[in-house]
Amino acid sequence: MSQLALPLQLEDHAVFESFWPAGNETLVAFLLDLAATQRGPGCWLWGNTATGKSHLLQAVCERLGDRSVYLPMRDLQSTDPAIIDGLAAREFVCLDDIHSVAGLPEWEPALFSLYNSISDAKSVLIVSADTSPRDSAFELPDLKSRLSLLPAFHLRSMPEEERQKALQLRASHRGLELPDDTARYLIARSKRDMASLYALLDRLDAEALVAKRRLTVPFVKGVIGF
Amino acid sequence: MQAESTLWTHCIRELKAELPEQQFNTWIRPLQSIEQAGTLKLLAPNRFVVDWLKEHHAERILQLVHDLDSGVNVVIEVGSRTPERVVENPRRPPPPVASGTRQAPPPPIASRLGPAFTFDSFVEGKSNQLAKAAAIQVSQNPGESYNPLFIYGGVGLGKTHLMQAIGNAMLARDPGARVSYVRSERFVGDMVKGLQHNTISEFKRSYRALDALLIDDIQFFAGKERSQEEFFHTFNALLEGQRQIVLTCDRYPKEVHGLEERLKSRFGWGLTVAIEPPELETSVAILKSKAGLLGTEIPDEVAFFIAKRIRSNVRELEGALRRVIANAEFTGRPINLDFAKMALRDLLAVQDRLVSIENIQKTVAEYFKLRVADLLSKRRSRSVARPRQLAMALAKELTSHSLPEIGDAFGGRDHTTVLHGCRRIASLRETESRVEEDYVNLLRTLTG
Repeated sequence: MSQLALPLQLEDHAVFESFWPAGNETLVAFLLDLAATQRGPGCWLWGNTATGKSHLLQAVCERLGDRSVYLPMRDLQSTDPAIIDGLAAREFVCLDDIHSVAGLPEWEPALFSLYNSISDAKSVLIVSADTSPRDSAFELPDLKSRLSLLPAFHLRSMPEEERQKALQLRASHRGLELPDDTARYLIARSKRDMASLYALLDRLDAEALVAKRRLTVPFVKGVIGF
Repeated sequence: MQAESTLWTHCIRELKAELPEQQFNTWIRPLQSIEQAGTLKLLAPNRFVVDWLKEHHAERILQLVHDLDSGVNVVIEVGSRTPERVVENPRRPPPPVASGTRQAPPPPIASRLGPAFTFDSFVEGKSNQLAKAAAIQVSQNPGESYNPLFIYGGVGLGKTHLMQAIGNAMLARDPGARVSYVRSERFVGDMVKGLQHNTISEFKRSYRALDALLIDDIQFFAGKERSQEEFFHTFNALLEGQRQIVLTCDRYPKEVHGLEERLKSRFGWGLTVAIEPPELETSVAILKSKAGLLGTEIPDEVAFFIAKRIRSNVRELEGALRRVIANAEFTGRPINLDFAKMALRDLLAVQDRLVSIENIQKTVAEYFKLRVADLLSKRRSRSVARPRQLAMALAKELTSHSLPEIGDAFGGRDHTTVLHGCRRIASLRETESRVEEDYVNLLRTLTG
């Protein structure tokens, strides 16, 4: 009988140190400065899925502790908008996947009110979305206009040649050594988006802990079965 | 500000390891802690979070706290360690109440004016000069010249700026003036609170004791009958006392649906002024002024580039400017035209996709109730030729196509025809207000 993996999450996830910027260096520098200085109204991050938007928003919160709040709007869209009441009392408000509530009549006025309170309190609003502010599906013109004040940064997808470095950086943050040949093996055979690769790394981490094995190609082959 | 509890620091370390990261960030991380007199107080941003925590996490939190110190009591409630940041202004005592009554002075209402919103920092252009002149006049003679002053226009054109500039100018002239800037939804919220807590009479007296009431975005009163009723009485009381009222709205008062007729008619008692979208030169001046406020200078060609490509509203202009400045700051490179193009390329790529010659032709044809085929035809009657010329002028302004390319796209016309059309429209915009209005409306539709 194999030993059960401990229900332990290593603290390596959504932090700036484990984010491989790959063309998004300016954005990372901007966010680090924003977190340090609270200068400006905030920003709007947009891009395809698995480009690291959630990671960056959570990394900001990780830096700021209880001065910040993070809300995954995709998971909360069917929740009562009362969940965003009073958030402006935190200095940094991070709303992930804000496009999930665009066009929802009960959410848009609540967001408009939140935006105004954040602006009055000189707090910072950081949002992520799948489009630029101009292209967003918000229907309340006052809200859409206010959100367009946030400087918008487009997150680029990870270039092919950077995937290996990103994966190895993530592994090293978990205390795992991911040799070049294993990394190449994984990238060549798994789904190509970074979210799938990172999920695979999670799985390998757990299995390696149980089996007390290193991440060699034969071990990985045995685990993922291809 | 009180210090964070060390007991809680220890607990969150445990909770972080136990909970999925997203859950931890959403529910646990924003809790602010205060530990005093054997009680650990956890402050959540709102009632919803408090209820959620009590249902899902309170038991575990209590267990963790008691593992460390079984004598500590845990309380989860709404609150913040940071005091609320509200701009208050010194104010003189309220006016004496009528003889025979013995009421306490009403609680003052915060001015909530942003100090940056002044007439000096408001960039004037053709599109807003009338509104600015009226606002200055009102700030110099509050309650006398134009009462109420009703400023209307699309989003992001400076209505709030102008309104707050009136308040700031009044306070600069008379620091004891009781001036309050209130968003309409706040007025509604204060009123509801007054009804809930049985303090509606204080609410009424506070608002009616003001020297100037500035209410932003009154379109949000639409459909809220009780608030309209209360506002109607406040409005009358202030007007009778010759106190100034300034209102902003996204449209002309008569066009706000869900607003009582008696309010609409009163809104028209004073002066109603419009703010239009800024013309190119004003947008450039706004950008240069905003860059200055952000501690940067931008070359004219960069300001023209941004202003020409982003025409919908001033906030979007500022968003784009902030993006260019951020890129310059964090790459250490100077801001020039190529740099700005590079920094905004993703935003502009989206815009380029939206504003094509085909899109312009379709929009113009719909606006004039024509068919696109009419615009491309050889017909030269004015009802077709004028819209065609407008479409050509818009294509020249909004796309990067050359004149020959534009000519080709309009039924194979020569580039000199395009040039003639653009010049004709430029001159008509100066002399015929109808053409100017059509042009601005179309520009707004295509870029807004």
